[in-house]
Parts: sequence; C-alpha cells; structure tokens
Amino acid sequence: MRSKGAQFAIAAVCLILGIMLAVQFKTTESYQADLVPARVEDLTQQVSTVSQERDALIEEVLSLREKLKNTRENDPAMADLEKDIQKANLSAGFVPVQGPGVIITLTDNASELQSGENPNISIVHDSDLLMLVNELKASGAEAIAVNGERITARSEIRCAGTLILVNWNKIGPPFIIKAIGNPDTLESGMLIKGGYMGSLQVLGIQANIEKAEKLDIPAYSGSMNFSYAIPMQYEEKAE
Amino acid sequence: MWIMILFCLLIGLFIGMQLPVFLTMVYAKYMSIAVIAALDAVFGGIRAYMEDSFDTTIFISGFIVNTFLAAALAYLGDRLGVQLYLAAVVVFGVRIFQNLGIIRRYLLKKY
Repeated sequence: MRSKGAQFAIAAVCLILGIMLAVQFKTTESYQADLVPARVEDLTQQVSTVSQERDALIEEVLSLREKLKNTRENDPAMADLEKDIQKANLSAGFVPVQGPGVIITLTDNASELQSGENPNISIVHDSDLLMLVNELKASGAEAIAVNGERITARSEIRCAGTLILVNWNKIGPPFIIKAIGNPDTLESGMLIKGGYMGSLQVLGIQANIEKAEKLDIPAYSGSMNFSYAIPMQYEEKAE
Repeated sequence: MWIMILFCLLIGLFIGMQLPVFLTMVYAKYMSIAVIAALDAVFGGIRAYMEDSFDTTIFISGFIVNTFLAAALAYLGDRLGVQLYLAAVVVFGVRIFQNLGIIRRYLLKKY
C-alpha cells in the first residue's frame, strides 16, 4: 500500500497540521508576551515618563500664556484689545479666577453593602457630577472646577471604567466641586427641595455644600483647537 | 517521502504564520487539543505507512474526526466543569510516543 496516494494524503495532512501549529504558536506567543511581568514594568515606566512629560508641558502652556499676556500688555496697539481679550479668556477658562462661592464635596456611600444591595447606587457616577455642574451653572456659577479641573465650554464629564474623565484627565472620589458665584444663590439653588443634591443624599452618597469667602479656581491647562468650526463674519443687525 | 512531509510541514507553517488569524484565549485551548490530535493522526499515519497497512480513507477520516472530537471533548469538559481535555492530552500523548517508538524501530531496522 505504499502508493503515491498515501504519500499525498500524509503530505496534505501535514500541510494542514503546519497551518494549525503556526496559528497556535502565534496565539500562545502573543498571550505569553502579554503576561510577562517585565512588560508590566515597562508599561509602568512608560506611563510615569509620559505623565512627567505631560506635567512639564502643562507648566509650559501656563508660562507661555503668561508671556503672551505680558507681551500684549506692553504692546500699545494691543492695549485697546486687552479688555476684550481678558473677557474672552475669562469665559474660555484660560485664566485662574478667585472669588466667593461654594464647595461641594461628594463621597461614595461609606456604609457596608447589605446583601442584595446594588453597589451601583452607592457610588458617585459621572452623571451625578454632570447634573450637579449643570445645576451650578443654572444657579449662576461663573467658574466651576471639579477636582481642580476647570469646566470649560468643551469639557466632558465622562465615565471611564472606575474613574471619571474631566478634560481628559482621570479623577476619582472624593469629588470636590468648586464654583464661584453668589454664595447664597448657589447654595439655595443646590439645596432646593427635590433638587439633585437631595436625591443623592437619599441614596446615601455623602454630599455636602459649604459657602466660601475666597475660592481659587485654576485655569484650563489643555489646548483648544478648532479644526472644523470656522468663524463666520459677524454682522450686527441694524434695527 | 520524508523530505516531502517535512517540506509540506514547512509550507504549512509558513502559510500559518502569514495568515492574519488570531485566536482568543478561550479558543486557543481547544485549538491546542486539536493540534495534539492532528499530530497523533499524522504519526499514526506514518506508522501505518511504514507497516504497509496504510489506508487513505481511514487516515483522512481519522485525522478530521479525531481533531474535531478532541476539541469538542474539551469544550464539553468546560461546560461540565470537568477538565476532560486532560484525558485527551494523556491519551494522545501516550499514542504519539508509542507511534514514534514504532517508527524509530522501523527506521532502525531499515537502515
């Protein structure tokens, strides 16, 4: 039975076996590569280097903005525009601001979970922060920061796994929301009956609000690039 | 014949390396059992070939059925919570060594 057919059959099966072996090799290799602890260390190293770089760049942005401001102040032609620029920067969140306002502190429910309780309801979610920031805006807050992240017109508050992203920076509990505005109006706006703060407290989340005489809110440290929005010619309507 | 087998195996390896196929960890386990079954079938086939009792139908059907059966057994074991794939590994392992031993003896006798 040592025919050509037998040899052909064995050869064909070997071909398939080779393909299977190669696929398996590749798969095992890729999985083992992921599990090597050296790789974890490597990634940790990379994260810390990149974070340091980012911090350095943030400082550079702030110092360059300061320089820009000085140049503008020294240029007589720009002096007229200074007021407009200041106002625009203020609304864009490019300058740190100071003033009276309120501080809201949010902490996850500290009590032990009873069996059958949903752990989801006892933690602070991105939607909670979003609602509170919205309430603050509605109560007339002029500048808001969540855990030191300035809320600008383009800031997001978004769930990212176990943390929350604000301005693409990760923040975690406890959440401290600072808002500058009329402290009395802000406080009453937040503590309104049936308001969002109240419902959070019902769920067991520790939500506190206190008035402050003097609050510091940092500037937005990121960049704001517009690649799609093109400003249109601004025409004042004649009456 | 040996050259042809080796050549085909190498071509298969090459094709497999070039194929953009990646398995997830879950399927990699079943694939590994299937690969062992396939290895067993190939060695069994070579042994039968040396013993002059080779039957193409039995060889091809054995290869296909054993491969899928081994993977299916491992899958069933996972569903049942029993590590059935160990049984397949042991059985195929023993058979691969037996077949290799017989092939070695034939080769020694031949040369």
